[in-house]
Amino acid sequence: MTTIASITNMRLKFPGVESLLFKDFSLSLNKGEKVLILGPSGSGKSTLLQVLTGLVPDAVEIPMKAEEKIIPESWGFLFQDPDTQFCMPYVDEEIAFVLENLQTPREQMESSIHYYLHQVGLTFDNIHTKIQTLSGGMKQRLAIASVLALEPEVLFLDEPTAMLDPKGTQSVWDTLKDIGKDKTVVIVEHKIEQIVDFVDRIILLNENGEIIADGSKRKIFDQYKHVLIEQGIWYPGVWDEYIQVNRKEFPISNKVNEKPNLHLAEFAGYREKSKKIDVKEADAYPGEWITVLGPNGAGKSTLLLGLMNLIKTKGSYYILDQNHRKIKNFSDYVSFVFQNPEFQFITNTVFDEVAYSIQLEDWSEEQVLTRVNQLLNLYQLEAHKQKHPYQLSMGQKRRLSFAAAIIKEQPILLLDEPTFGQDAKNTFAILEQLERLRLQGTTVIMVTHDLQIVNHFATKVWYISNGKLVEECSASNYTKNNQKQPAMS
Amino acid sequence: MQMDFSYKVTWLHKINPSLKFIIIIILFIHLLMIHNINFIINYMLGMTILYLFFTGHPWKRLLIISIPFILIFLTSSTSMIFFGKGEITWIKWGLVHITEESFFRGLHLGFRGIIFATLGIIFALTTRPVYLFYSLMQQLKLKPKYAYSFMAAVRLIPIMIEETQTLHYALKVRGVQNHKGFVGFYKKLKSYSIPMLSQSIRKAYRIAIAMEAKRFSDTVNRTYYYQLGFSKFDMIFMFYFVIMILVSYYAAINHPYFSILDVRDNG
Repeated sequence: MTTIASITNMRLKFPGVESLLFKDFSLSLNKGEKVLILGPSGSGKSTLLQVLTGLVPDAVEIPMKAEEKIIPESWGFLFQDPDTQFCMPYVDEEIAFVLENLQTPREQMESSIHYYLHQVGLTFDNIHTKIQTLSGGMKQRLAIASVLALEPEVLFLDEPTAMLDPKGTQSVWDTLKDIGKDKTVVIVEHKIEQIVDFVDRIILLNENGEIIADGSKRKIFDQYKHVLIEQGIWYPGVWDEYIQVNRKEFPISNKVNEKPNLHLAEFAGYREKSKKIDVKEADAYPGEWITVLGPNGAGKSTLLLGLMNLIKTKGSYYILDQNHRKIKNFSDYVSFVFQNPEFQFITNTVFDEVAYSIQLEDWSEEQVLTRVNQLLNLYQLEAHKQKHPYQLSMGQKRRLSFAAAIIKEQPILLLDEPTFGQDAKNTFAILEQLERLRLQGTTVIMVTHDLQIVNHFATKVWYISNGKLVEECSASNYTKNNQKQPAMS
Repeated sequence: MQMDFSYKVTWLHKINPSLKFIIIIILFIHLLMIHNINFIINYMLGMTILYLFFTGHPWKRLLIISIPFILIFLTSSTSMIFFGKGEITWIKWGLVHITEESFFRGLHLGFRGIIFATLGIIFALTTRPVYLFYSLMQQLKLKPKYAYSFMAAVRLIPIMIEETQTLHYALKVRGVQNHKGFVGFYKKLKSYSIPMLSQSIRKAYRIAIAMEAKRFSDTVNRTYYYQLGFSKFDMIFMFYFVIMILVSYYAAINHPYFSILDVRDNG
């Protein structure tokens, strides 16, 4: 077998960080291999890919040295965020950008653009289409098309589906498997359900950037399962095991003789004067966990914005028997957790962030201190009290946004895909916290694409399609009816 | 949030962007040397025709865009009208002292402001940034490094607008209360700018790496998807201004609205 990329005794250190990220690290990849690199966040997986392509240190100036380094002659790199890998506004211009870099003659460009788009299964009436109007999955496939324009031998994929919904994820992996058949492929990913049958070698890193295991996927799954669980990897069957280990039973909500926390009738939400969501009638009771399901763009997030009174609404909306138009301070009753936690942070330290909402009210200093510390403790953030929220890791930021949102114990909690992009460990931690709140009587309303959450945590489903709430049923019924077509919605 | 910003392509869109850019700069400088208010009024009419009928944008949008023009006109002319020097006094009231000379000087300044704004906005409305940078690279030998950085930055603007919206919601959700006055403004600025900056820096960094991953380098030998050259529309554009300026000048001399030749003269 020929070695296509390798690195021997590499040392690498981020400026300003005390310890080395990699110390005497060696790795070699053979031609035609499909390699999956797994490891906890902060283990340097993405950096490793960038080293193997030469992006580090050529483009990203990080001090490193290696005894020997082989970089593949031609390679393509697919990044995580669909919005930050394009530099041009239109589909054709973006692929043309690569062709220009390769000095392709202008006359050949148009036919090449069609060719590469065809390879990733994208068809447009007019290739001069705005990238902004594409869905996440289509954007990633466009990115693959521009990677293909480089005619690469080796493909490096850095969590290419982390920011996509299930449908987009499926389409991107289908495309990648198709075009990657006869190439060397190196993948960093923590949601591995879709790709286990595609890869043949798995490399397992630990948080110190050391290789714990390297071998066939069979060997890794047999011998290192505990490591996968510990690292929060989404290996196939992780849900089943979680349910088994925790003996989780189907959630039941007891709503007999109770008044709804939230009542909607002929409720409609508007964006720029056009009706985007329409609800005939719906109730949400204390202790209910409602998952809002539906295809992309159906109006799920708009419904939440309407419930939070952030957009113009019509119709009747009652919270605890009060007309929502008469409520002065909405945040006394409803709280909201956004998809991107960073947008929610408004103070300079973790402590202030959690304390913010109650400091606005007349709590005594002692009360604030006790309550905040209690929450920091619960969400495992007490060690980071004085840090700036932006300095936290992805999972910590998510937990902080939760703590800050629920501190006032509002009766209704709205969440927009809170488990999005989180690893298995964080996801289960979040779900357990929500379960605890639900049992205390909070109404949880959550937008998600994850049907496992519906199966095991939710009590009710609101299905949204084309801007309308078309189905309201219990989660168990929904699961039963949809068992024939699992996984996708 | 999707913003619709569609327009019809007119001849103004087909002019070579570099040429358009240079002509407009020259016109800016020339404008500074015009002191005849009659001339400048005609000039303004000529620009208005171009703005209203040839940019290819819908009427409603053109009208909305012109609101700030009026603001420019009012602010720049009134300060001159109210506090300028002059001999023939019309009104005197405390600090305010309106004279005939200051009145016309103010008007002149206001009109000039409008022309500046119209020229700028005509350029902005009829030039796709991508074409401008391709043309700057091809005709004016701008380094690709700068051209593509700008193009990548332009792409980020709609994303940032969307983020501002989310941020606005998030602040409302957290129950952020608006303070009034300067302190309130400062607080608001801080609560928006820090997350926006942090996100933008991260995005810019990622785009830069993605561009290098696509083998972007600063070599001059690259091919171009768009080849921008010159056409008859460039001639039309130049002729339009030559003729408009000549006609305006001729009309200003022979059929003046006011008997003032130079607003700088005192009487």
